[in-house]
Amino acid sequence: MNWIRNNRMNGIYLIIAAFLLLLPFVHDSRSLFILLTQIFIFSIFAMSYDLLLGYTGIVSFGHAMYFGIGAYCIGIFMKRFEPTTPNFVLAIMTTILLTAVISFFVGLLTLRLKSHFYAMLTLSLSGLFLVLAEKWRTLTYGNDGFTFRVPDFLKDRTDFYLICLICMVLVFFILKRFTNSPLGRVLQAIRENEQRTESLGYQVLHYKIIASIFSGVIAGIAGILYSISLRFVNTSVFTMDITLDALLMTIIGGVGTLVGAIIGAGLIEFAHHWLTALAKEHWIFERWIIFFGIIYILAVMFFPLGIVGSLKNFKWKRAKQTSVVKKEEELAR
Amino acid sequence: MDVLLNLSLNGLATGMLIFLLAAGLTLIFGLMDVLNFAHGGLFAWGAYSGIWIYSQTGSFFIGIFGAVLVGFILGILTEKWIIKPVYGNHVQQILITLGLMLVLSEMLKVIWGPNQISATPPSYLAGSWEIGGVIIIKYRLFIIFVGLLVFAAVQYMLSKTKIGLVVRAGVMNKEMVQALGINIKRVFMFVFMIGAGMAALSGVLLGPYSGVIHAEMGLEFAILAFIVVVIGGMGSFKGSLLAAALVGLSGSFMAYYVPDLALAANMLLMAIVLVFRPQGLFGMKG
Repeated sequence: MNWIRNNRMNGIYLIIAAFLLLLPFVHDSRSLFILLTQIFIFSIFAMSYDLLLGYTGIVSFGHAMYFGIGAYCIGIFMKRFEPTTPNFVLAIMTTILLTAVISFFVGLLTLRLKSHFYAMLTLSLSGLFLVLAEKWRTLTYGNDGFTFRVPDFLKDRTDFYLICLICMVLVFFILKRFTNSPLGRVLQAIRENEQRTESLGYQVLHYKIIASIFSGVIAGIAGILYSISLRFVNTSVFTMDITLDALLMTIIGGVGTLVGAIIGAGLIEFAHHWLTALAKEHWIFERWIIFFGIIYILAVMFFPLGIVGSLKNFKWKRAKQTSVVKKEEELAR
Repeated sequence: MDVLLNLSLNGLATGMLIFLLAAGLTLIFGLMDVLNFAHGGLFAWGAYSGIWIYSQTGSFFIGIFGAVLVGFILGILTEKWIIKPVYGNHVQQILITLGLMLVLSEMLKVIWGPNQISATPPSYLAGSWEIGGVIIIKYRLFIIFVGLLVFAAVQYMLSKTKIGLVVRAGVMNKEMVQALGINIKRVFMFVFMIGAGMAALSGVLLGPYSGVIHAEMGLEFAILAFIVVVIGGMGSFKGSLLAAALVGLSGSFMAYYVPDLALAANMLLMAIVLVFRPQGLFGMKG
């Protein structure tokens, strides 16, 4: 239990997780659980995005691609074959393999160049996947998508809620461990100063590719969960909107902090929910993306650390100030 | 023969539209080291405002001028409010220009509604000529002509005028130009304005060419423009013309022979360029 004692925040996270874990046993509101499940799924997705944007300093505009691959993989496996557990495992393996291979090649092609190239290549590649999903009708049923059945153990909403929660907690702690490992430290060094890291003897390209693969695979898993939660998949999983959601969540929550991604996911999903409801009141709320866009631009400009980053900064500054005051007092004596 | 010629003309016309878009991107990137992800938004704004003015006044040329003017104004505002605060920070630039793209294309839907708008070429550009049994659509020739004209004008500006000299010097070494007492910030604004104007021109020309315009087409064309910029080399003006023609031609031929693989072919082209010549065909630095 040392790791809890060393960092008080870990304890707080565990308490919140335990609260969410017990919530279905004391409260039952179907819509709330569906919303919370969505939040967990998008938290996983946003955390995978944060690994790239916040920890390695790579901007990807095609993260929806990995998400969509996961969503379609599970859908196709469950539709084509019997929805049994072995097939389910097989679908997960295929997703991991596909996302890993694709993110490896995307990384290999572009990560040795300036950061723009990765953004451009992922943007165009996800466009390609969108077209592919529309055109390959025999496999994907085109634009309309298809519904599918899920294995028995995923049928219950409460069970699925718990599975998503556990997945999110697992991904959170795995990523936390990953970013605190020596490898993660190198990634952060790359974000801060790439030339310097390189001159210290690290193969920057290898580390960036590892981050890209890791992030891609986790995004694929988020896609699997998303598609299971809807029991339906269509081409919208490949659209820019999904990538934008991840971007917004990470930026508003706080880049470079995994908790920020979760908080961002919660905020954005709740906002979606409310703004869609408000659309009945006034037509401008149908175009809610415009509000998000404006908030997003303002956040990038004036608030680049996000909610969690700003809080941390504030705390750190205060700690520094008090220590300076103490020192001055000592000196005065 | 008939088919080949028609496909080539079609490809070149599309290529010219992509060129107008990509040229702005590549110039802005070369000088300012900013990759403008909002370029597709400026393109769509050019299309909507141009077609709107055209339908209000009935004159296509007034529509074109209006679109270019809108492009200039939006370009200046973008540079001043959005790009200027984040010069030198690549990640922030990429993020903020994408946000602008989002706002621009949503604004279009707020102003002109979410449905697509149809557009037809004016009577004197509609129809086609028949030369020796080959049918040539007038409007395609018109697009190619305008594209080449803009290319020649910008090329002349870059190679023969004072401001072009400053721009070329700025691409090589910004600090030196600044040290020689030239206000490079003004030049940045000028180049951004020209780039946005070209994007808007491309948009309004696309309207009657494809028949309909919609708010999402900005992103679609921006993807093609990015492919062109990568193939031609970032910062290379001539490279973008050649690459745009290449992408346009490959697009139109693939769309005729293997329609499902049209975008894939361009992606493959880009991947090959990235593997063997990551700085692009005409690029100087990676």
